[in-house]
Amino acid sequence: MTVIPKETLIGRRIPKLDAPAKTTGETRYINDLALPGMLHGKILRTDRVHARIVRIDTSAARALPGVHAVITAADTPGVPLGHGRDNPPLKGDRVRTIRDEIAAVAADTEAIAAEALRLIRVEYEDLPAVFSVHEALRPGAPVLHDRHPDNIPFTFDYSHGDLAAGEQASDVVIEDTFKLHYVTHCCMGVSGVIATFDTTGQLTIYSQTQIPFLYKRDIAPVIGVPPDRIRVIQPPLGGGFGSKLDIYPFEPICVFLARVTQRPVRILFTREEEFIASPTRQPVEFTLRSGVKKDGTLMFRDARTLHDNGGYTSWGATTPFVMMQTISSLYRVPHCRYHTTVVYTNNPYAGSFRGYGNLQATFAVESHMDRLAEAVGMDPLALRLKNAQAPGETTPQGMHFITCGLRDCLQTAAERSDFVKKHATNRAGQTGPIRRGIGIASLVHVGGGANIYRTDGCGTILKLDDFAQATVLTGASEIGQGSETVIAQFVAEELGLPLTSIQVVNNDTEITPWDVGVHASRTTFIAGNSALRAARKARTKLLAAAGQQLGADPATLDLRGGHVVDATSGEARLEIGKLIRSLHFAGKHEVVMTTEYYEPPSVMQDREFKGNVSATYAFGTQAIELEVDTETGVVRIQKVTAAHDVGRVINRLGIEGQIEGGVVMGIGYATTEDLMVSEGRVLNPCFRDYKLVTAPEVPEIDTTFLETLDPHGPAGAKGVGEAPAIPTAVAIANALYNATGVRFRELPFTPEKVLRRLREAAEGKP
Amino acid sequence: MARVEHYAAPRGLKEAARRAAERPATVLAGGTDLMPQIRSGKRALAPSLVNLRRIAVLRGIRRDGDGVRLGALTTVTEILGHPLLRQRAAVLVEAADHFASVQLRNMATVGGNLCNASPAGDLIIPLLVLGARLELVSWTGTELATRELPLEDFFVGPGTTRLGPGEILAAIRFPLPPPDFVARFRKFGTRPALDISVVSVGIGGRRRNGTLEQVRVAFGAVAPVPLCGRRTAAAIDGHPLGPDTTAAAVSAAAAEIRPISDVRASAWYRTELIQILTARLLRDVHHEGH
Repeated sequence: MTVIPKETLIGRRIPKLDAPAKTTGETRYINDLALPGMLHGKILRTDRVHARIVRIDTSAARALPGVHAVITAADTPGVPLGHGRDNPPLKGDRVRTIRDEIAAVAADTEAIAAEALRLIRVEYEDLPAVFSVHEALRPGAPVLHDRHPDNIPFTFDYSHGDLAAGEQASDVVIEDTFKLHYVTHCCMGVSGVIATFDTTGQLTIYSQTQIPFLYKRDIAPVIGVPPDRIRVIQPPLGGGFGSKLDIYPFEPICVFLARVTQRPVRILFTREEEFIASPTRQPVEFTLRSGVKKDGTLMFRDARTLHDNGGYTSWGATTPFVMMQTISSLYRVPHCRYHTTVVYTNNPYAGSFRGYGNLQATFAVESHMDRLAEAVGMDPLALRLKNAQAPGETTPQGMHFITCGLRDCLQTAAERSDFVKKHATNRAGQTGPIRRGIGIASLVHVGGGANIYRTDGCGTILKLDDFAQATVLTGASEIGQGSETVIAQFVAEELGLPLTSIQVVNNDTEITPWDVGVHASRTTFIAGNSALRAARKARTKLLAAAGQQLGADPATLDLRGGHVVDATSGEARLEIGKLIRSLHFAGKHEVVMTTEYYEPPSVMQDREFKGNVSATYAFGTQAIELEVDTETGVVRIQKVTAAHDVGRVINRLGIEGQIEGGVVMGIGYATTEDLMVSEGRVLNPCFRDYKLVTAPEVPEIDTTFLETLDPHGPAGAKGVGEAPAIPTAVAIANALYNATGVRFRELPFTPEKVLRRLREAAEGKP
Repeated sequence: MARVEHYAAPRGLKEAARRAAERPATVLAGGTDLMPQIRSGKRALAPSLVNLRRIAVLRGIRRDGDGVRLGALTTVTEILGHPLLRQRAAVLVEAADHFASVQLRNMATVGGNLCNASPAGDLIIPLLVLGARLELVSWTGTELATRELPLEDFFVGPGTTRLGPGEILAAIRFPLPPPDFVARFRKFGTRPALDISVVSVGIGGRRRNGTLEQVRVAFGAVAPVPLCGRRTAAAIDGHPLGPDTTAAAVSAAAAEIRPISDVRASAWYRTELIQILTARLLRDVHHEGH
């Protein structure tokens, strides 16, 4: 008798399923793909920040041998793309930013295409430009889009309570303006796309998109191909981090080139192009006013933010939607107002980026929590604990925290870093040029999707073959976050199969069922639940069939190690493969194939932005220790103590990587990364001068996972893809204050900026 | 990108010099600066490309009378591992230890670092402190001619040197420092690893009774060329090490550098850094003496 003990895959350390191929170089990225007869496309971008296009002469480029097509706006439908539908793929009459696309070439080689671009002559008439939100809002400022004569494409307003009453009841009121800078995603894989039409006019796009199904819908009107004639195939992605939530002009341009030439066309960015023409995080000017009672009770918060939209509107313009959640609901605040003005400028346009505005909002809120604590003589931990949300609460914005580990996160991070003692000791006075500091900050972020469409669901098709190989067709894309592995774990767990028996297919809209897309930290939660439920249906079917064959009550049976076993004794009764074959061959004519569409229990917010937008919320706290050299301004991060409410750990190795990667991204945002934009131009479009954090600078990261077992989460899990990047920068700002007694309100904390701020403060500027 | 019409990878220096003299030539050593500059369009290839990498006499580090001779093709990795340099010219090894990444150190050559003539070139500053001289060769039409030039006279501006047309840097020599010679190098980048200098400083001299004598000072990335800090050196030379000398050296340094503002740092910040690094180097040298 063979006995198979009950084992679980949940919480184990599982190497990501795509890791072997990626580490050995076997993975074929878009750079490695070449279709037979494929041409190479390149885009001519303007060198003007704001100008009228008088004339474009492409005759010399067309005459170059090896050039198959040169197109301008005149050759395209001219339908704009983007969240604000304000961005024509090729600009015909006017350019508004230096990245603007004017013409495109398809040629036999990239070198010929590049040569052809040099032969295109463009005549411009320069227009006055605006490079800051304040200039753009001034009466009489140059107008970027005639539809918005005030240069304001969007505003966002949210409020609850009575602000005046809140201010009246406060003992201490403070106000600060924070300035958050430009950074960019720096995906290892540069942007690229391949478009190809077959003879019937069916279009296949090899795309890096994070949202393959909405992509079809969004690109269709721009390229004039109906969505049902578009197939999206996603090759493995060299990094997403939110940057592939939007469609960018190079994608429809590639389709236009493929249509004109009737050949497959690939467009692949250079690294310099990636820096100049891919999106950034929103630069935000954030004015926050907060009040607190003497006992530390938070009374009100009033936030006004100005967002530099750049020349066009991407999904990034909607980050206030996330920012206001942190303003209203990270801590209990009875009276609250939030207002954002999104402003057109002639700067590069920002997009969606891991955290989606929350890094900026949390920077302001958690800077203020420290300042308020000091004002009422409390330590920063005590003030936060006093105002922290607790499980079961529904915030005034309507966010329902069924589980909420915020207090535990605060306490765990503080205890493990010895925060209270170190914070007090550092404050007591240090001498010498090197000062030590410790800072703390927390976060709330959606952890169960974000219901911003009419559905926030994900489809799964699960099929078992006659050797008990399970194929999971899921709509959810893998963009490096490890969802493939987690989905395979859920399915393997339910079906009692080894991980090697699970194949996840997630990269072809012709094969996989619908999903909203990878955003809002939703994939483990939504796609995980979908896969789990599809697997459960298959499990039920298998157990029922096994019960019938074995003459046993299905409830007494279990699936383990590829077998149907007796649930109590673990005795193996039947191979799962054999069971499935018997369903085909014994006159039953059945296959084991199930479908599921999982819709989370969340709602779309109302017009006042109220409602429980996510099925669950992730919380976390990070305590950061650093040293600052007050003579050179160099900040060295010594240790990060992170405590995150993740619901439940599914893949321990994966989530450790997710947290560490987020922390490092947060450290980069705070201390090294700075996309320098001057008069609309990017000054440092290369990794020599755009400084990412490198391995030697990564500090010790001590991570604790708090398992709050979310009742709606798959096996209790929450999504935490974005969470770890969110509080890092402001924890560093708070640590800098602890070290130096100087409040840093502007990112980044690069050495020169830190030294300048220290000098300013020494000269009396608060 | 211009096309190379003639390519040569000779084994002899004479042949290389002849090829370089025949027609306008680009000379290739490690390629770690040259290739990115060509790819980015910052520099054009000449019609002829002369690859020096097979020339054995351009390799190697050896004693040469009272001095040390570095073949121009000596890699940064070779400098790092060399026992004589580690023992007697530690300041050069210190700079090599701050040079880029392991991969680049394996390819980049000392000759290339000098000929690239970046004001931020990492190996230039310690070689100026060591009083290095250059051996330059050229083809006269019938034979190989050699001339010597002090390193400090080599640089004309960013990316330009006194190398004549077709002239090749063959070796770098410097006198072996006496046992009482001390020298320090400090490079400041905004990131601890893999970074280009925002500024760098080297100070060296002979320690005598609480002073430094025969002092040489060099500054990187604070002028169009790597700069010899003559006034700073004079402020130190023969004066007792301590706060007064440091203060005098720091103000001399601030007065003689000519920094610019660029994406890496403002002139203000470079001036601040030169002062603080100079003071810290002098403090280190001083405290080691006790």
